[in-house]
This record gives sequence, C-alpha cells and structure tokens, in this order.
Amino acid sequence: MSALATLETGLLLGLYALLAGIWGVLWALAQLRPMRIFARSAFAAYGLHVLAALTIVSWTPLGFGWKCLIVGSSLVFLVIPPITWRLLQRTHDKERSEHDREPSQHSRRLVARL
Amino acid sequence: MYRSQTLALKYFAAAITFFGVMTITGLLSAYYYINPDFLLGVIPFNIMKILHINTLVIWLLMGFMGSIYWFLPGELGRETAGIWAAEALFYVFCAAVAVVAVVFIFVQYGGSNEAALWFINQGRKYVEAPRWAAVGIVVIMVVFAYNVIGTALAARRTTGIITVLMIDLIPLILLYLIAFPAITNMSADLFWWWWLVHLWVEATWEVLIGCIMALALMQLLGTSRRIVEAWLYIEVALVLGTGILGLGHHYFWIGTPGYWLTIGGFFSALEPLPLLGMVVHAVYDAGAQHMKTTNRPALYWMMAEAFGNFIGAGVWGFMITLPQVNLYAHGTQWTVSHGHFAFWGAYACGIISVLYLVLQRTRNLAVVESHLWKWSFAALNLGLVGMTGALLVSGFVQAFVERAIGGSTLEAFISGQENAWFVDGMVARFLLAIVFTAGYAVLVWDVVTLGRRAPAIAAVSPAQ
Repeated sequence: MSALATLETGLLLGLYALLAGIWGVLWALAQLRPMRIFARSAFAAYGLHVLAALTIVSWTPLGFGWKCLIVGSSLVFLVIPPITWRLLQRTHDKERSEHDREPSQHSRRLVARL
Repeated sequence: MYRSQTLALKYFAAAITFFGVMTITGLLSAYYYINPDFLLGVIPFNIMKILHINTLVIWLLMGFMGSIYWFLPGELGRETAGIWAAEALFYVFCAAVAVVAVVFIFVQYGGSNEAALWFINQGRKYVEAPRWAAVGIVVIMVVFAYNVIGTALAARRTTGIITVLMIDLIPLILLYLIAFPAITNMSADLFWWWWLVHLWVEATWEVLIGCIMALALMQLLGTSRRIVEAWLYIEVALVLGTGILGLGHHYFWIGTPGYWLTIGGFFSALEPLPLLGMVVHAVYDAGAQHMKTTNRPALYWMMAEAFGNFIGAGVWGFMITLPQVNLYAHGTQWTVSHGHFAFWGAYACGIISVLYLVLQRTRNLAVVESHLWKWSFAALNLGLVGMTGALLVSGFVQAFVERAIGGSTLEAFISGQENAWFVDGMVARFLLAIVFTAGYAVLVWDVVTLGRRAPAIAAVSPAQ
C-alpha cells in the first residue's frame, strides 16, 4: 500500500463507520418523530455510507477478503437499527402489558373479597 | 444509608481526585511535545506519561468500584458482605497510589534487578506499578470480588446483572496476574501483556460498565429490570464476541504469527456493529422519556457514553483496525487519538453519569439542575473531541511521513516530528487540553457545590 493510500483508506474507513452511525441515529429519530426530513436524511446517510463502501471496494488496495467484509458489514449496518428498534419495542410492549395486568389482578382480588 | 454507599462516596471522591491528577499530568505531557526541554533534568517525559496513564486506570477502576459499592446493597437488599475489609482497603489503596506516585516522581529509575521490580517500576506499559503495589491491587480486587459474591451468597439471591458482574470479576482478577511475570523473551512477554491490556479494556471492563449502566438506567429512567437485563445479555454477548479475538489487532512487530493480524482485524472490524445497536438503544430510551428526567446531567452523560463509545471505539477504531492501515498507524498519535476518545466514551462518561445519580440521592435533590454542569459537559467534550482531532492530524503525519514514506528509520522519525502539521497538531492538542482541564475544574466545582448553592426543590426518598 502506498503512503497516500494508507491515509486515504484510513479516512474512508472512518467515514464509512461514521456514516453508518449517522444512518442509525437518524433512522431512530425518524421513528420517534415521524417527520420526512429525518427519514430522508437517514436514507441519504445510508446512501453516502454505501458510496463510501463502494469507494473502498473499487479504489483502495485492501485485499479481496477485507472488501467482502466491508460489503457484508454495510448490509448488517442496514438492518441493525430496525431490528434493534423492533426488539426494543417488543420488550417494552411486553413489559407494559404485564404491568397493565397488575391492576386487573388487584381488582380480581377485590372482587374475590367482595 | 448503607456503609457500602458511604464507602462508594469515598471511592467517587478519590476517583475524581485522580481524574484531576490524570488531567494535569496529561496537560503537562502534552506540553513536552511543544517544549521538549520542559522540566529537563527534573521529571522526564516518560515519567509524566506513566503518571497520566496509570492515574487513568486508577480513577476509572475507583469509579467502577464506587458505582458497584453504591448499587450493590440496593440491588441485593442488604449490607455488603465484608464491608469492614473494603473500608480498610480503601485507605490502603489511596495510600499505595500516593506512595507509587512519589516513587515515580522522585526515584524514577532503578537497576536491572529484582529490587527495582519490587519497589520502583515493573517497566511494563500501563502496569508500571512496582510489584508490591501490584500485589496490593490483587488483594483489593479479590476483596472487591468477595464483597460482591459474598453479598449475593449472604442474601441468598442474585439478579441477572449481579450474576454477570460476578462472572466478570473472575477474569478481571486472573488477567491482572499477567502484570507480574518478568518474561525475558520480548515476544512472549508482549504476547501475554496484551492479554492483560486488551482483555481488561475491551472485554472485562466493557462488561463491568455494561452492568453499571444497566443499574444506572433502572435508577435514572425507571426502566424495568427485565428489559435492562435482556439488553445487558445481548450487548455483553456481542461485545465479547467481537472484542476478545480483536486482541490480534495489537500484535504488530512483536514476533507473533501473521494469522493473528487477520483474526484481530476481522473481529475488531465487527466491533462497530453492536456499538451501533447501543446508540439506537440510547436514542430509543431518550425518546421514550422525551429527554425529560429529574437528573439531566446524568442522562446527558449517559447519552455521551453511548455516542462517545460508538465514535471513539467504533469510528476511530475502524479507521486503523484493518491490518493494511494498522501496519502504519500502530503506535502513532493516530492510535493515541483513538485511545483517548474510546476511553472517554466507553468509561469516563459513564462514571460521571453515575456520579450525578449518586449526588441526587446524597444531596436529597428532587431535580438536579445547574448551569455549571452544562459548562463542564461542553468544555470536557469539546476539549476531548478537539484533542482527538488534533492528535489525529499528528498521527496522519507520523503514519504518512515517518512510517509509510520514511520506513520507520530514526531519520524518518525526526522528519515526522519536525513536520509542520505534526507540530501544529500537538500545539492544538495542548490548547484543547487546557479547555478540557477547565471543564474538569468546573465539573469539580459543580460536584462539590451541587444542591448547596440553592435549596433543593423537594426532598426525595433517602438512598436505599
């Protein structure tokens, strides 16, 4: 790897990971506040992330295996925010529904006492 | 208040004090790069750097221990087992750190003999403490483990978080034993030394802070135990899954087989994946609470922990983790930049968050609010991000000029050190270190006076 390619590759890798983070944060914000700007910005960030990935694959002197890792990671980065969000919602909803059942049990005891 | 929680307050006080020593010695270390004659013949650069790095380890360790001593009695509903031993060892711990610091400053060097290893310096980066002090650290950690495990046994119950913590304390202690052997084969010595450094920082400490953040989340946001524990298991599994074999990304130029570089590069390249999940989790939690809480400093520092961990460990780490880049970036200011950001994000922010939670209870504050925490939050984070940016520029120069072009010769080293970009980077780092130090001073002022400057709005229930 040439001297300049070292710097360029390092910077591209950092940008690649940073854009994945921005995609995740904006996607999560889009779920919290259903505003178009968040959703559009999230997909724009992911688009830029893909662009960074393509640049790394086509332009840097990294080995074939590492390029496959970059492509694979991009696909995983794409699904992490929705999967995490769904899991969070599911665990919170489950917890909430169990919490909601508590008063009914209480009232059932009241009914039994009556 | 339990005796364990009173001890926790002492640990937090000591942690914040050593945080200050780390900051000052870091600031002075930064100045050596601008003026290499600084303190010439009095304290050499390497001693200042040893003080900076070792107090980093000590203050974080004390912050972790303080957090656990704080949460443990409430978690298990009883006083911490063997608390008398922990109380006695706290003073021993502080005194030992002070003695070691005095020896580093005034004695500095010893001969190439056993006596120097025992009483002056073990000579291994990050664990330079002389052997007697290292034995003391083992004793303190064993008692700490006994405090946790013994309390669970005495209470005849445990929780998911405490179980994870108990399991984590065993490798935490065992790995520290690597600090002792003086292996004469350099390759073998560095091979095992990295087990201690990497597996503490990127495995056992990650689990420890995960447990502490789980306990803090329940107290701060009232998140249910089931949710917190489920996520703790997932996140710990993912972090350990990617972190343990990431060990190989340190094995450059020490004579280890080449396959370690591929293994290390591959697993550490996966590390940003779980960190992104944590960031999404943080946004979810903050959104669920609409950023409303009675303790905004604790929430903001907790958010800073999630984001700082992703950017410092994830983004900064990803830049240099693949072997082709790491080959040149390894051991330059580029790595230093990553180290600063990752330690700050992964650990320091978390401990400051817990500190504010503890203050809310001990000062009986219904709402924690002040202007000072905002200033300290801004100055500390701005200073840290600025420093890592400046170090990154200097690191680029080293990787480019000294390593990739110059081939790591002495001439190339000098050429890199004299490069204008490198010099400017180090000056910027020093200036931003001053901003960071100012942020630390404001943090201390806020912590000391919080709730005392103005009467508390209303009392909350006393600490449990």
